[in-house]
Amino acid sequence: MIRVRPASLHKPFSSSFNIAVSFTVRVSASKMALRGVWQLKKLIVSYCDWGGSSRGIRAFMETELPTFKEKNPQLEVVTELIRGQHPHLKGFYKNKNERVVCVKNLTTEDILLHATRLRNALGRKVVKLKTRHVTKHPSVQGTWTTDVKF
Amino acid sequence: MAHRRCLQSLVRHATALISLKKPPTLSTFEPLTSTPNPAVTAPNLEPTWFTTWSHFRHFSSSKSDDSENEEEVEESSDGEAEEDDEAAADLGRDYSPEEKEAEAAAIGYKVVGPLQRSDRVFKDYEPVFAVVQIGSHQFKVSNGDSIFTERLKFCEVNDKLILNKVLLLGSPTQTVIGRPILPDAAVHAVVEEHALDAKVIIFKKKRRKNYRRTKGHRQELTKLRITDIQGIEKPEIKTDGKPLKAAIKEPEKVATTA
Repeated sequence: MIRVRPASLHKPFSSSFNIAVSFTVRVSASKMALRGVWQLKKLIVSYCDWGGSSRGIRAFMETELPTFKEKNPQLEVVTELIRGQHPHLKGFYKNKNERVVCVKNLTTEDILLHATRLRNALGRKVVKLKTRHVTKHPSVQGTWTTDVKF
Repeated sequence: MAHRRCLQSLVRHATALISLKKPPTLSTFEPLTSTPNPAVTAPNLEPTWFTTWSHFRHFSSSKSDDSENEEEVEESSDGEAEEDDEAAADLGRDYSPEEKEAEAAAIGYKVVGPLQRSDRVFKDYEPVFAVVQIGSHQFKVSNGDSIFTERLKFCEVNDKLILNKVLLLGSPTQTVIGRPILPDAAVHAVVEEHALDAKVIIFKKKRRKNYRRTKGHRQELTKLRITDIQGIEKPEIKTDGKPLKAAIKEPEKVATTA
C-alpha cells in the first residue's frame, strides 16, 4: 500500500486516520501513472505582442488555441504576455515536473505539434530506456534455471 | 523490392507450369508456391494435397489471410502501378478509415475508442501472460505491464486498443502456442503516452579527410498499458487479501463520515 500523509495533521487523531484511509484508496485506484488520468495540469503560452519571433504564436493563439482548449477540458491553459522575450510553452505536470519548449519563429502547425506533445507526455524525466518492457511480475510459470528438468 | 520481384517471377513460372494442369483451383495458392525449385515440386502437386496443406498451415486469422492473398494477386497483375500508388499515399498522407484500419491490422492492433471515466479496465494482476507482436517487436506481457513500442499511428492518448497478433498464451497450468498466431485470443491495452526517446547522437567521421558530421535523433515511442488478456482460462487468485482489506476499509470510512 502507498502511505500518504495527509496535510491536516493538526486535526484529532481519529479523523486524520480516516482521511488517510480514504486517500490511499483513491490513489490506488488511479495508481499514480497515467491510467486514464491526464498528467499535464497546466499549460502556459507566453508570447510577445510586438516581436517578430512571436508571429507564429500570435497566429496560433487566434486560430488553433481555442480548439485546443475545447478538446482538452482537463487542461488549464493560460496565456501570458512577456514583452521583449522569445515565446515559449511551459507545461506543469502532476508529478510537479515542468517542461519548457521554445517556439520562436515557428509556424502555427509546429507550435500545435509541440503543444500536443506536451499534452501527450507523462512528464517524466527523459532518460535512455533500459528496457522497453516494464513489469512487476517477471515470470508466471517460474524463472528458468539450469536446474529445471522437464 | 528485389526479393519481391524474384518471388514474382518465380510465382509466374510456377503458375505457368501449374496452369498446364489445373489453373482455377491453384491460382489462389500462389504465395505457397514460392519454394526454391518450383520446377521439381510443381509436377507432383495434386490439388487435394494443396488444400490440406493450406488448411494445416494456419497462418493467421481469416481476415488478414484474405488480404495477403489479395495483395499477391494484385502484385502479379501489375507490380509497377502498385508501387506508384504506395508512394503517392506516403506523400499525400490522406488515409480513409478503412486504410487506417488496414494499416493498424498489419502492425497488429485495432483502435477501439477513447477510454471513458466509467470504464473499469484497470484490474488487479492475474497470473496469465501472452506473447504479442506489435510491428516487428514481440513482447511478453501480462496484466498491468507497460511496454514501449514504436509510435503507433492513428491512435490518441487514452485510446483503448486490441492487440490481435498473439503468438502464445500461458498460465501456471497451461500453455497455448499459436501457429504462428492464435486467431481468437486478444490482448487489450490502453495508450498512455506518445513521447520522444532520449536523444541519440549519430556521429560520422572519415580519417584524414577533415569530415565530421553530427546528427541528433529522437525516436518517437508509444507507451501502452496492458489491461486484459483474453483467450485463456484464468486461475483463481489465492492471495486476495488486499482487495478484501480495501473492501472492509471502505464501508468503515462511509460509516464514520456519515
